[in-house]
Amino acid sequence: MSEFKLTTVEEFEQATSRLLETGAKVGADAWQLRVKKQSPHCKFGEEGACCRICTMGPCRITPKAPRGICGCDVHGIVGRNFLRFTAGGAATHSDHGREICHTLYASAADGNYKVKDPEKLIRIAKEWGIETEGRDIYDLAHEVAETGLMEYGKPFGTQRFLKRAPQHTQEIWEREEVAPHAIDREVSRAMHMTHMGCSSKAEALIRQSLRSGLSDGWGGSMMGTEFSDVLFGTPKPVDTEANLGVMKEDEVNIIVHGHDPSLSEMICEYADDPEMIAYAKEMGAKGINVAGVCCTSNEVAMRRGIPMAGNFLQQENVVLTGACEAIVVDVQCIFPALGPLSKCFHTKFVTTSPIAQMPDSEFIRFDAKTAGENAKAIVKMAVENFRNRKPELVHIPNMKQNATVGYSVEAIIKTLDGVTNSQVDETGTLMPLWQCVASGVIRGAVAMVGCNNPKVRPDTAHIELMKKLIANDVIIVASGCSAQAAARAGLMDKRARELCGAGLKRVCELADIPPVLHMGSCVDISRMMILVSELAKIGNVNISQLPVVGCAPEWMSEKAVSIGNYVVATGIDTFLGVEPYVSGSSEVTELLTNGVRDWVEAAYTVEKDIDKLGDAMLARIEEKRAALGV
Amino acid sequence: MTLFERVFGGNDAVYGLTEGAIDAAIAQHGEEKAVSFPNTAYALPCYYAVTGTKVTNLKELKEALGVVKTLMTRENKLNDVFMSGVATALCAEFIEAIKYIDGAQPYEEPCYGHLSDAVIRELGVPLVTGDIPGVAVILGSAPTAQEGVDLVKSYQAQGILVTLVGGIIDQCQELGYKTGANVRVIPLGKDVTSVIHVVSVAVRAGLIFGNLTPGDAGALMAYTKDRVPAFVNAFAPIDDVIVACGAGAIALGFPVITNDDNDVPPIPKSLIIQKDVSKFNATSLEARDIKIKITNIDIPVAFASAFEGEIIRRG
Repeated sequence: MSEFKLTTVEEFEQATSRLLETGAKVGADAWQLRVKKQSPHCKFGEEGACCRICTMGPCRITPKAPRGICGCDVHGIVGRNFLRFTAGGAATHSDHGREICHTLYASAADGNYKVKDPEKLIRIAKEWGIETEGRDIYDLAHEVAETGLMEYGKPFGTQRFLKRAPQHTQEIWEREEVAPHAIDREVSRAMHMTHMGCSSKAEALIRQSLRSGLSDGWGGSMMGTEFSDVLFGTPKPVDTEANLGVMKEDEVNIIVHGHDPSLSEMICEYADDPEMIAYAKEMGAKGINVAGVCCTSNEVAMRRGIPMAGNFLQQENVVLTGACEAIVVDVQCIFPALGPLSKCFHTKFVTTSPIAQMPDSEFIRFDAKTAGENAKAIVKMAVENFRNRKPELVHIPNMKQNATVGYSVEAIIKTLDGVTNSQVDETGTLMPLWQCVASGVIRGAVAMVGCNNPKVRPDTAHIELMKKLIANDVIIVASGCSAQAAARAGLMDKRARELCGAGLKRVCELADIPPVLHMGSCVDISRMMILVSELAKIGNVNISQLPVVGCAPEWMSEKAVSIGNYVVATGIDTFLGVEPYVSGSSEVTELLTNGVRDWVEAAYTVEKDIDKLGDAMLARIEEKRAALGV
Repeated sequence: MTLFERVFGGNDAVYGLTEGAIDAAIAQHGEEKAVSFPNTAYALPCYYAVTGTKVTNLKELKEALGVVKTLMTRENKLNDVFMSGVATALCAEFIEAIKYIDGAQPYEEPCYGHLSDAVIRELGVPLVTGDIPGVAVILGSAPTAQEGVDLVKSYQAQGILVTLVGGIIDQCQELGYKTGANVRVIPLGKDVTSVIHVVSVAVRAGLIFGNLTPGDAGALMAYTKDRVPAFVNAFAPIDDVIVACGAGAIALGFPVITNDDNDVPPIPKSLIIQKDVSKFNATSLEARDIKIKITNIDIPVAFASAFEGEIIRRG
């Protein structure tokens, strides 16, 4: 076995520089250049003190003009902007979840989509009080899907999945009036509240931000995750590889990018089709290689071990290798820049969703009924495009790392069963994890999530924080682009246990896990909510008492804010490495970093110095331990 | 009190005792007085294996205690707890070594105290080849003498080497249960510090058979974890000193099974609470991943390789 070594951010950057040289040769634009052109950013926007919700404005708040034309002060403006930001994120995740519900509704024994995990479907059906006895699995799937779809617009009641939280958490949600009603209603309520002449009280706006966030985490995202598992299988540990080196010079490279696994799963399915592989060989390639970018990559990596080419700020690099036959996208976090960029190469930029249409792309409308033929057409198009490659432009950075991924809550529990003692312990619970935490062998856990953001040197915050935390016996669960950064660096290689403190190292050895556990895509942060809920229940403590924090060190999107809000509202302190647009209002800042603690027992900490951010998380974890007396 | 605090507390207590013992010995014998265990080429074997230094007299022992003190870091991390456990073990070795000054024979029948290199060479080969599938270290007093003896016998019948520390020795005597190296049941001593003599066996096995470099503590811990299939059975009540010793055992890769659930948080695969002493055997073997295939021969006496050295006396 060769010596294990992490890939450094410097090495990432060298690879990127080399790719940008190719870009310069063909006259391609790149985010690095666009950042320069956009800097410095507008101060009013950064502070959240600019309002454009009616045509009396735009208004901006300065010491000389402390109110907008309607009389709204800076706290109202910042609060409204923050709430709209949240609503955008919640809508995005939730629509993803809704699409999955529709896919489940379209599942059929002889259809494109089948139920791969009937056990999980039955479990959810029972949870929701749906009759399961003696029923055809597809009848059941359709009823569960329909019930799920009703969660988006039901006129009465709150979200069904809230019942999964510990009693104490449910009581908080009720007491504080943040228990989300129908998902779409919370988004439209947010839009209503932020209309000119509605809410301008910071407290009300932030409360709705939490509620809207919760409708995502415990509503849309959770359904997205659960039904994806039902349709495509619940993830279990699987070995894969990460970083640009997973692309293959002698094969047709298809990159799946976006979020919804309905598309990527089908592409993977057809890329494995012997007919397609034979066709690829006819075209002079050795085979078909599918790799992923962003959350769709996480989805197929978790379930199929499909390699991960890169995270958010790598998406242009994938094309810059000159070896990408097709980059197939659906929704969310897709740079519109990919259109013009792909035109500089032979790459086909294929958009598939009416939700995300972009200029300079080939639009192949993808839907559940025609998924098979759509996917086949896309794969075929990519294969045929292999011939158009310009060999002189091909350069794939020779860097990749091994990763073990697939740690769903179910898989984590199964893994923990392996360290139980049959004479003493029950299996099928998180008890071993709780024992490791309670005894102090593991000091705590950090959920590392979120995006890349050019405001932070890409991936450094993710990787440096993880290294620091694991060295301090803190286990990491990761998702989204944070998970991808870890995988690319090598932190999901089981050998990375050598970088851990003695406690975490021992745990990794005994359980045979890497120190950073990949829990999936951004909707899969709902898995983390279930994990902490179960951990709190088994430890007989409140979620807010657990030595657990969340961290989004390089966050960028509205989705990240929605996630942050539901994580905080679930009782988990959340640490941000990029400032949200709220500094203009002392009231909103105070609420988010302190005041909401009185409501939901957790709050935000914002710290741009990554080292200090890590120290603050470790300190919070130790504070929680001390309070618990463990 | 957290488990880590208990380990640190136990370690501090043992350190205090050790310091007192060394100072008293120096006052009595002077600094130049030779310190050694009988019949070993490894000086104080544990200290030698961990640091690579051979202690020969009281002056050096006092210096060694200073080195041990540096292991006693007090952060709330498992590494610190492990090192505290190792420090506790080394202190125990020092206390035991002082007992042997001037060729004294501090242990008498049925206790063995320090075991010679010859015994280790004899036991070491079957240990690393798996003929002895495990080493049980039984500490304290079982709830009843019968339960204690039944446990000893159950291990013995599986060919496991059993070492005894504390009250369990009296319990065996009380019921007239035969002990001795020849039947692979070795009473070490009544003081908890005498547990070091079995640690010394594991450590010397590493030095003799594992070709470990003295001073390479990391390799030593890896060797014992991978190659020496030992485990500890500690009977309630366990005090902080035993908890600190337990941390040392866990650091070497040896799980601790106890029936004391008072202020002892369980740790998977490492510190296991088993209230039912009759299940100690099965729990321990599973915890240490010791798999023994037993063909039960239905005969009216116990049957195992452990009884091969048994001597039948007249009468």
